[in-house]
Amino acid sequence: MVVVDKENCKGCGRCVAACPKKCLALGETLNAMGIKSVEYKGEGCISCGMCFYNCPEPYALKVEK
Amino acid sequence: MATIEQKGMYKAFPRSGKNVSFTHYCPGCGHGIINKLIAEACAELGLQDRTIFVDPVGCGVFTYYYWDAAHISAAHGRASAAATGACRARPDAVTIAYQGDGDLGAIGFNNAFQAASRGERFGCIFVNNSLYGMTGGQMAPTTLDGETTTTTPFGRDPALTGHPLHVCEVFAQLKAPVYIARVSVADTRRIMQAKKAIRKVFEIQRDRKGYALLEILAPCPTNFKMDPLKAASFCMNEMEKEFPLGVFRDEEAREPLAVRPVPQASGCHDLFAEKEAVPAAVDDPAVAERRFKFAGYGGQGILSLGLCVAEAARLERRHTLWFPSYGPEQRGGSANCSVVVSGTPIGSPTVDHPDVLVCMNQPAYERFVGDVKRGGTVIVDETVPVKVAPPDGVRLIRWPAIKMAEEFGVPKAANTMMLAALKKFKCTGLSDGNLEKALVASFKKKPALGEKNRELLRQAEAREHS
Repeated sequence: MVVVDKENCKGCGRCVAACPKKCLALGETLNAMGIKSVEYKGEGCISCGMCFYNCPEPYALKVEK
Repeated sequence: MATIEQKGMYKAFPRSGKNVSFTHYCPGCGHGIINKLIAEACAELGLQDRTIFVDPVGCGVFTYYYWDAAHISAAHGRASAAATGACRARPDAVTIAYQGDGDLGAIGFNNAFQAASRGERFGCIFVNNSLYGMTGGQMAPTTLDGETTTTTPFGRDPALTGHPLHVCEVFAQLKAPVYIARVSVADTRRIMQAKKAIRKVFEIQRDRKGYALLEILAPCPTNFKMDPLKAASFCMNEMEKEFPLGVFRDEEAREPLAVRPVPQASGCHDLFAEKEAVPAAVDDPAVAERRFKFAGYGGQGILSLGLCVAEAARLERRHTLWFPSYGPEQRGGSANCSVVVSGTPIGSPTVDHPDVLVCMNQPAYERFVGDVKRGGTVIVDETVPVKVAPPDGVRLIRWPAIKMAEEFGVPKAANTMMLAALKKFKCTGLSDGNLEKALVASFKKKPALGEKNRELLRQAEAREHS
């Protein structure tokens, strides 16, 4: 299942577009940098890792199996 | 299966005193995706302890904060040149140059092209986002026809600026490269292809096959002035028309390259035209570092004088470096050289604050006198008017070098007269015997002059000085 570290997310949305199950979305709350970071909707993740590979940030997303 | 998470990168990226774990890249930047794939490939192949990354100037400049391996930061466009040195000096290493399209395609094109032509044993990862990113989105050689950038506000006009440069296609004309391919990180399928290709670049280096070039098309949302998804679409729909993805060369089955022996140089014997082996310096921590600056105009023998001191230090088995600085003219321009002599290995050959300054003309004196260390010595030719006092605690010696050389009938020997002063006033910390030997050695091609200068040196030294 995807785990988001919102402090390392820049809100680019690449993962949202890449997720085959559409289970990621940009949130409404701001992180410390003032960015609306991505959030997991809570269900649907199949741990495929596409979000991780589309994300330009090393530590914004990881996928636990 | 294991957790999918970042491998091969540092856990935090301290920059500007901050301890953060996000990169400096803009949201949606292709560099970030590529950086992750490179770190992952390096770690998964177990090559982190053997890898030397050569980092570029451009948006990729901070990769040394991210990839947990060895790094060399090259000057703009020179990553392929630095990588040439790295891969030759360390045949056991995996060397990877990382360059952008401004860096590789423009200022550094010939460096990269010639390295590829020589078949240097390194992998070049070439990120093409069709413009100069870091400096604000100017046109690069890779900018598309009609593409708007800050320097092509009405779109790139081929009549004025030519057409985009196809780096892979040009390099594919060369015989030496083992692997040349173009991939993209615009969508998941392309990212997975890029992941495989990056891994292959590392494998080719691990297996000593030869030169590999991997071009990666990358979106630059900031300078495309698009959101990250539109930028990725531009990358797929527009850039790929000009820069089709594909493999241009794949000869991974080639035999590994032989290990070339690394030439070992020591001392300044080449400068003294000596062919015999030079004994290495002997460490002696009790001998403090002493820094010299010799300055005047080209033709006064400034550089030779510095070499004599360096040679004397070498004869004394000290560590020493000689570093000249002069203009394009061989004679008549300002010239200076720095010499460092030390009992321990020397970090830098540059001398900002000399212990000993020798000046043979007025501009040299006025330029450097303020830099001399407290407790140091300035020897200046007597003909130079001392309009600027040396700093407090600095000994000033006005010495008639030029006048004496003329009196002896050998005007060119003014530098030898200066060496006499250095010897007489014990400025070098080196033995008299070695200073004389070095002087004679500097005339190796004209032995008669060597003996003549030794004689003049002794006469000059014996002269009274108030």
